[in-house]
Amino acid sequence: MSPIQCAQFDRILEEQPDAPLSAAASAHMNDCDDCRVLWSELGVIRRAGVEWGSEEVEPPEYLWTSLRQQLESEGLIRERLTQQGWFSGWFGAAPRWALAGAFLSLLLIAAMLAGYQVNEPNAAAVLPVRLSISAVRPKLVASDLGKTLDGDLKRVFDSLPEGNPVLASSLRENLGIVDNLIAVCEKSVREQPDDPMARDYLYGAYEQKAVLLATATDRSALEGQ
Amino acid sequence: MAPTRPTEVRELGEAEAIRRAQQGDAAAFERIYRLHNRRVYALCLRMVGNTAEAEDLTQEAFLQLFRKIGTFRGESAFSTWLHRLAVNVVLMRLRKKTLAETSLEEATEPDEDAGGPRKDIGGPDLRLSGSVDRVNLERAVEQLPPGYRSVFVLHDVQGYEHNEIAVIMNCSIGNSKSQLHKARMRLRELLHEFERSRAREERQAAKGGSGSGH
Repeated sequence: MSPIQCAQFDRILEEQPDAPLSAAASAHMNDCDDCRVLWSELGVIRRAGVEWGSEEVEPPEYLWTSLRQQLESEGLIRERLTQQGWFSGWFGAAPRWALAGAFLSLLLIAAMLAGYQVNEPNAAAVLPVRLSISAVRPKLVASDLGKTLDGDLKRVFDSLPEGNPVLASSLRENLGIVDNLIAVCEKSVREQPDDPMARDYLYGAYEQKAVLLATATDRSALEGQ
Repeated sequence: MAPTRPTEVRELGEAEAIRRAQQGDAAAFERIYRLHNRRVYALCLRMVGNTAEAEDLTQEAFLQLFRKIGTFRGESAFSTWLHRLAVNVVLMRLRKKTLAETSLEEATEPDEDAGGPRKDIGGPDLRLSGSVDRVNLERAVEQLPPGYRSVFVLHDVQGYEHNEIAVIMNCSIGNSKSQLHKARMRLRELLHEFERSRAREERQAAKGGSGSGH
């Protein structure tokens, strides 16, 4: 094995910067302090780079929003997010808010009418979904809209005639259904805060609650007359 | 094309996301972005050392990607293609900054290349210890010529292999290795300079401190 010089050692590093040293290069390094220090320090730098790379960096969320706007403005995104899942199957053919409101109004009216006809406390059993009130207790909603609706809820319950427990019970059950939907939608928004569809669902759920409360208010006003 | 639902988006494979994005599916664009945004952003940030600029460059890289996604035929790895775009976007910016239209070769070859690497800087008392201060490393990387910086960041920091870097940087594998070695050598010099300057400042502070005591 012929000994190598510093210049050759440099060339070996340049050609194979990360390969294990050959026997000749190792032998040279053992005899040459400069090359030994060089080899060691290049290793320190390489490890520092690897360590730096192991740190996660997260781009800010608004970057996607901004990028998406740009893509839309350039027409690269050819369809808006219009998918509604199961919801669209029900309401996709017509203005959703109108149908959702109509559906819940009908549900409430049907429950109330049934309650009047049989005049029994369990009249709410005609509702398609049975939910325990404790399980669907209206949750504290994060948004201002949710707080406003909760304020409205208190006013509606206060305005209900005291002698009509069936109406109050039906209203609670229907509110339970809507609150469940709101809870699911809020969870989706928390998980995907920039997803317009998730926000769309949430506002839809709030709107359903508003429609329900408005219907209940009208009903209690009629009873009060 | 059936629109993509949010739950599907999270499960969408890259190939399917690319296919759908080529047809303009918004959710597929987002899926591709979410799959690669961290690496691209990290690359940009480490190349320019500035958050606002890195955000701008990341957006520009993805924008270029989505503009060209219709032409992607899968001959190369999608991530390599994307990172090539990102590196080009960054290099273009760096070149504009220096107001000099230089080729990649020029950008990676500073004047001192004629001779072999210098090994005598610092001396034994200023040897780099087992770890490098992160601030110093970032400062030193910022001072590298753009080509050296790209290869160092891609290989040592981002973990790319030389064959991938060769594709991304449009150079040979040998060139990538050589640039990496030179980048490390230059970093070594810079880190020693920082060490010397810190030692000088400490000496001056010590002098000032002992002087003020009298």
